[in-house]
Amino acid sequence: MKKMIFLFSCILILSFAASPAWPGGSLLVKNGTILTVTKGVIPRGDILIMGGIIKQIGENIQAPPGVQVIDASGKFVLPGIIDSHSHIALSGTNETGDVITAEVDMADVIDAEDLSIFTALSGGVTMVHTMHGSANPIGGRNVTLKLKRGRPSDELVVPQAYKALKFALGENPKQANRIGATGPPRYPVSRMGVNAIIRRELLRARTYMSQWDRYNEVSKSKSPPKTLLPPRRDLRLDTLAELLRGNLVARCHSYRADETLEFINLSKEFGFKIACFEHIPEAYKIVPELAGEGIGISIFLDNWAYKVEAAEGIAPMAAYCAQNGILVSINSDSAERIRRLFNDAAKAIKYGGLPEEEALKLVTLNPAIQLGVEKIAGSLEAGKHGDVAIFNEHPLSAYTRCEMTIIEGEVYFDRSQYLSEREEAAKQKKEPKKG
Amino acid sequence: MAKTVIKNLMVLVIITLISPALVRADVQPTYALVNCRIVPVAGPTVEKGVVVIRDGLIESIGTIGIINIPEDAEVIEAEGLTAYPGLISAHTNFFIEPPKEERPATEAPRASESQPMKPSAKPGLEAFTLLKPKKATIEALHRIGITTVLTVAGTGIFAGRSVLINLNGEAVEPMVVKNSVALHINFATERGAYPSSLMGTMALLRQSFLDAAYYASHRARFEQLRRGLKRPEYNPNLEDLVPYVVDKKPIIFTCANQEDIRRALRLRGEFNLNVLISGANEAWRVVDLLRKTPVPLLVSLDFRPPMSSEYAQKGEEEKRRAEKDIYPANAKALSQAGLSFALTSFGLTDAAAIQKNIRDAIKAGLPAEEALKALTITPAKFLGVDSILGSLETGKIANVILAKGEIFDEKTEIEKVFVDGLLFQVEKKAAETQPAGINVTGTWKATVRSPMGELDMTMELEQEGSQVSGVLASEMGRWEIRNGTFSGSTLTFSIEATIMGQTMTMEFSGRAEKDSLEGTISTVMGNAELRASRVPKTAP
Amino acid sequence: MKKHILILFSILFIVASLVFGQNETKPYTAVKNVHIVPVVGDDIPAGTILIKDKFIEAIGKDIVIPVGARIVDGAGFYAYPGMIDSYCFLGLSEISSIPATIDHRETGRINPQLRSTEALRPDSMHIPITRSNGITAALVVPSGGLIAGQSGLIRLTGWTPGEMVIKSPVAMHVEFPSISRRGFQREQAPQEEASKQVIELKDWLNKARFYQKRRETAAKNLLLPMPEFDEKLDFLLPVVDGELPLMISVYADKDIRAAIKFVQEEKIKAIFFGVTQGWKVAEEIAEAGIPAVIGSLYDMPPSWEDGYDALYRNPAALQKAGVKIAFSSQSASLAKDLPYHAAKAAAFGLDKREALRAVTINPAEILGVADIMGSLEKGKLANIVLANGDILELRTTISRVFIDGQEVDLSSIYTELLEKYKPRNKEKK
Repeated sequence: MKKMIFLFSCILILSFAASPAWPGGSLLVKNGTILTVTKGVIPRGDILIMGGIIKQIGENIQAPPGVQVIDASGKFVLPGIIDSHSHIALSGTNETGDVITAEVDMADVIDAEDLSIFTALSGGVTMVHTMHGSANPIGGRNVTLKLKRGRPSDELVVPQAYKALKFALGENPKQANRIGATGPPRYPVSRMGVNAIIRRELLRARTYMSQWDRYNEVSKSKSPPKTLLPPRRDLRLDTLAELLRGNLVARCHSYRADETLEFINLSKEFGFKIACFEHIPEAYKIVPELAGEGIGISIFLDNWAYKVEAAEGIAPMAAYCAQNGILVSINSDSAERIRRLFNDAAKAIKYGGLPEEEALKLVTLNPAIQLGVEKIAGSLEAGKHGDVAIFNEHPLSAYTRCEMTIIEGEVYFDRSQYLSEREEAAKQKKEPKKG
Repeated sequence: MAKTVIKNLMVLVIITLISPALVRADVQPTYALVNCRIVPVAGPTVEKGVVVIRDGLIESIGTIGIINIPEDAEVIEAEGLTAYPGLISAHTNFFIEPPKEERPATEAPRASESQPMKPSAKPGLEAFTLLKPKKATIEALHRIGITTVLTVAGTGIFAGRSVLINLNGEAVEPMVVKNSVALHINFATERGAYPSSLMGTMALLRQSFLDAAYYASHRARFEQLRRGLKRPEYNPNLEDLVPYVVDKKPIIFTCANQEDIRRALRLRGEFNLNVLISGANEAWRVVDLLRKTPVPLLVSLDFRPPMSSEYAQKGEEEKRRAEKDIYPANAKALSQAGLSFALTSFGLTDAAAIQKNIRDAIKAGLPAEEALKALTITPAKFLGVDSILGSLETGKIANVILAKGEIFDEKTEIEKVFVDGLLFQVEKKAAETQPAGINVTGTWKATVRSPMGELDMTMELEQEGSQVSGVLASEMGRWEIRNGTFSGSTLTFSIEATIMGQTMTMEFSGRAEKDSLEGTISTVMGNAELRASRVPKTAP
Repeated sequence: MKKHILILFSILFIVASLVFGQNETKPYTAVKNVHIVPVVGDDIPAGTILIKDKFIEAIGKDIVIPVGARIVDGAGFYAYPGMIDSYCFLGLSEISSIPATIDHRETGRINPQLRSTEALRPDSMHIPITRSNGITAALVVPSGGLIAGQSGLIRLTGWTPGEMVIKSPVAMHVEFPSISRRGFQREQAPQEEASKQVIELKDWLNKARFYQKRRETAAKNLLLPMPEFDEKLDFLLPVVDGELPLMISVYADKDIRAAIKFVQEEKIKAIFFGVTQGWKVAEEIAEAGIPAVIGSLYDMPPSWEDGYDALYRNPAALQKAGVKIAFSSQSASLAKDLPYHAAKAAAFGLDKREALRAVTINPAEILGVADIMGSLEKGKLANIVLANGDILELRTTISRVFIDGQEVDLSSIYTELLEKYKPRNKEKK
C-alpha cells in the first residue's frame, strides 16, 4: 500500500513537472455584457476561468475560494482579439540575402521584450500570427504567439496553431518599389519570374523527396549496396517537402486577383494547401474561386492606395466577401494598427452592413480558424482558453476603449493599474527635486 | 626497469641540453617573494608566506620558515602585499588585427538553389595568425591584475578559433599558452548578403552543422571503401568545422541577450555540441533554463543592457538606470543559483572600466572570493588549462600578482606582476587623462548592425563647439546629420532618411572616444547598433 | 423715410424672386422631419432645413416650406453640418508610393510661393470616398522644407480646381522638426534644431519687412531705387502684415514653447499643427490663444514615458486647457477617417460634443470661414450630411450629402468596382 502511495505521488509529481511551466491563472469576470461571438450576447453575465481555461459562462457564478473577481459591470467582455498577420515580437522580418528562404523560421527569433507586445495588449489583442516579410517569393516559417508579456519567449508559442510558410507575389518580391537601391536587380523582377521561381523550388523539392524515398527503400532492403549514401539534408527543401506532404500550410501575400488565381493553380499542380491569402485587396473580383476552394483571406479593412497593386482595394470588400462565403479576417500588419483592430471590424458594418456578431468574428473567430486554433480561442466558450478582452463600451463603437486584456486567466494589461502606476511614477519624479 | 630509467634520463638530459636554446636565450632570475600574504585560490590563505618562482613556474609556495628559499633567489620583500594568481579574462578581442576584408563587388542575390557556407565564413581562422600585441594595452591590463586572456576575432558569424595567451611581452610565440582553444560563433549577419537576418543566421548554422556531419560521414565511408564511391569534394570550411560537429571540440557562442542564450542552447541540443556561452550579461534572466542545461558561462562585465531588452527601449534614462542598478547584479544571481561562471572583459576595452565593473558586480552582491574564482580557476577549468593556470600551486605557471590590499578593493593597487615568471613592475597610474580635447571632426567608417542586417556607412563629421554637423553616406543614400551635439563623451544627432520613398527619422545616441565611436540608432522600426572608427587622415 | 423705402423694396424683390423663381428651377430644397444637430445651438429633434440655392434659408422646428420646394424626407435621420478636414492631401496625392502621383511636396527649404490648390486634381479617387463619409470641405496643404507654401480650403465637389476652391490661401505652412514617427525611442526634443529654425524664420520675416518698406517708399518716392522683385520675400508679405496666418507644424513640447515665443515676438497670426506633446504645455498654448490642428491619431507616442495613450488623450488635455482644437486626417487615402480621430479622442476623455465641434465649427473658425460654414445656421452654406446615427460613430451610415445646397453623388471607386464585379461573381457561382 505504501508503495502504491509512493508510486502515485511519483506520478503526480512527474505529471506536474511535465505540464507547462506556467499553468495559467484563475479569475471570475463578473457582471459584464458578454459577447461570446458564437453563442450570442449575455447582457449581464459571468465568466469563470480556472487554470487558464474557461470553465463556465453564465449568470450568477460564484467565485471558488481564492479566485480573484474582476468586476465588469457596465463593460463589454469579448474574446481576445487575434491578429492573423503581424510582424511584431520578432528580431528581423525579412531574410533578404536570397530570393528563396524557406529554411528560415521566425520561431528562432522571437523577441518577447518587444514593446509592441504591450501596444497590442492595449488594444485587446491576445494572439498574433507573426510572419516572415514579403521580400521573397518564398519567405520563411511563421509562428503564432500569445502575447504573454514578461514570460520567456518559448512560452509565448502556440503549439496548436498550423505550421505555416510565407509566400509572396507581386510588387514586393519583384522589388518594384526598390527606389534608391544600388547594384544590379535580382531575379525575379516580373510576376512571370515570381511564379517560375516558386515552381522551380517546388519541382526541386519533389526530386529531393523522391531521392530520400528511394534511399530509404534501398537502405531497408536485405543487402543495401555498401556505396549507398543518403542524400544531403537541405533545410530549404526539407521545409518545402513538409509543405508538399501537407504538414505545412501556405500563407500567401498577394494583391492582384490574377496572380492569386495563378497561385491557386500552382497549389493544385503540386497539391499543397493554402490556408489564407494576405492583403489581397482584389479578392472581391474572384469571390467564387476563393469561396469554392475554401481559402480564407486576411485583409486590411480599408488601408489602401499605398501602391499600384493596392489601388483597387475597396472598403466594402470585407463585408461583401464575408457575406459570400469567404472566411475573412482583418489584420494589422503594423505595430500601430494592431491596437485598433476592433475599429476596423466596426468599419465592416459601415461599409457593407455586416451584422455586429459577424463583424466581431473578423478579429476573433475567423482569424482563429485561419490559424487552426479555433478549438482554444476565438470565442468565449467553456473549454476554450481564458483569453479575454474587456472594453468600456461596445467594442464596435468608435468611442470604445480597451480596459483589460487577459490571457489564460492572467491579466496582462490593466488600464486602471497602468494609470495609477503612471501617476505614482510622475509623483516620484517630482518629489526628489524638492528634497 | 633499469633500462627505461636510463632511457628516461637520457631524454631528460637531451631536453635540458636543447631546451634553453629553444625557449629563451636570456637567463631569468629565480625569485622568492617573502613575507607576503598568499591567496592561492586553491587552498587556504597563507598569512605570511613565500612564493618561489623559477624558470616560469612556481617552484614552491607556502608558509614562511617551512619553504626553503633557494640560494640563487632574488629575494623580494613583500611584507604588506598579497599574492594572487594572475587574472584570466576568458573572452576578449584584444590584440587582434582583423584581416583586410575583401568585400565582393555588390552583386544581386543569386536566387541560388541552396546556400552553402560563403568563402568569407572562416571557421578555421586562427586568432593566433592575427595577433599583434600592444605594449600599452598589456601594461593597462597588468595594472588591473590580468595576466592571461583568451582572444579571438570579433566579427563574422564564424569568428574563428581563439588563442589563450599570457601577457608576457610583445613577441607572439612565447605568449601562447594554448592555441585553437575553441571555435567562436556570433549571432551576427552578413552585410547585404546571405544571411542578412538573424533567422537566416540560425538556418545557416544548422545547414553548416548538417553539412559538416555529412561531409565527415561521406569521407569516412570513402576512406573505408576506397572503390566504387565518388570521392567527396574537398571543402576547407567543412573540413574546419568537422572537429566541432563530429569530435565535439568546444564552441563558444557569443550571446548578446537572453534570446541568444536560448538559441545557443537550442543548437547545442539539436546537434549535441560542446557549448560554452559567452557574453551572457542577461544570463540572470534565464537562470532556470541554465540550471536545467548547465553549460560553462563566460559572463561579460559589460553592463550595458542589450538593445533588445525592454530597458534599452524605454528611453535613455531607463537604459542608464538598468546599466547602473540591474545588469551589475547578473553575476550575483548566477552565483546564488549555484551556476558555474567565469567573468570576462568581453565588450570592454578600457582597463579602468573592467576594474570598476568587477567592483560594481561585487557591490551588487557577488562575494569577492567568488569574483576571484570567476577570474582565475573557473576560466582555467573551462578552457582546459587548470592544471597549469588559475591558482597558486607548486608546478603551475608563475602568473602571480602582488597587490597592496584586497585585490578588488577600491584603493588597492597592484604593485608587481609576474607572467610566466617574468617580473613586470606596474607603473603608478598616470594622471587620468580626461577625454577632453576629443573632437569628432573627421571621417569615420561606420557599421550599422540591426536585426535586419548590416550596413556600411561613411560619416563626415564637423564639430564646432558642442554642435556637430555632417553627412552619413551609404549605398542607401546620403543623409544630412541634424541637431548633432557632442558633450562630455556623448554624441547625439538625428537623420531624416528617405528610403524607398518613405521618410524616416533616425536618432543616434552614443559615446565617442578619440578614434572610436559607438551607440544606438533608434527608429520607428527598432534599434540598430552603430560602431565607427576614425579613418586616419592621409598625409597630403 | 429712405430706410423704409429700401426695406419695402427688398421685400418686394424677395417676393418677386420667390414667385418667378419657382417656375424656372426649384430654388428650394426642404429637408424635413429630420433630427438636426446644428453644432451651434441645441438639437432640434424633428425640424426642417430650408435650402435656397447655396445657402440655408431657414432652419428650425416650424418652418414654412414654400410651395414647389423639393422635399427630402429626413425621418429617421440626423442632419449634421458637413465635416471639415483641417489638414490633408486630398487631390494632391493618389498612390503614395508612386512619386508621379504626389504633388504636395516640393524640393527646397523655402517655398512661400507655392499654392497647393494650383496642383489640385478634381478627379482624385479619394475625393468622392471622403465626401461619402460626410466630409464636405478640406484644407489641402503643401509639406516639406522649412516654409512649405500656402494651403487652400476646398469643397469636395467640382469639375475644376476653380470650382472647388472656397478660400485660398488659408495659411502659410512652416514645419518644425518632426517627432511623431519615432516609435518609443525618442529621448529629448530637438530643441537646438527648432531654435535654429526659429532664427532662420525670423531672418526671413525681417528681410520681408525690409523688402516691403523699401518697395513701399520707392513707390512713393521716384528718387529711391526700387528693389528687384524677390519671389520668396514677396509671398511672405501677407504673413508679416498679419493677414495670412502661419500654420506651424510643431510636435515636441519644447518646440511648442519655442514656437509660442516666436509667434508672440513676431506678432503674427498662427495656427499650430501636429502638437503631439501639446498636453505637456496645454496651458501655455491656451494662454497664447493659438488654435491647434491635431495630426493623425494613427501613430505611436513619441516616447515610452508619454504613455501608450498619449496621442489619444492629447486632444482632451488641450481642449480642457482652453485651446481651440480641430482634427485632421493628415492623409489623402485615409481622409475618409476624419470623424474617427475625433471619436478616438472622445474615447480617451474628450467631451463628445467637443469632438463634434472639432470637425465642424472649430475648423471653420480656425480657418476663417465660420461665417459661411461649420454649423447648420441660417445664412450659412448648405453643407448638410444626413446620417442614420451619430456622425462620429463607426457603425453609422451616411445617406445623403449636400454641398453648397446641391445634393452630391455618394458613389465612388468603392461602389463602382464592387458593382462591376458583382454580376461576374453571381454568374460564376
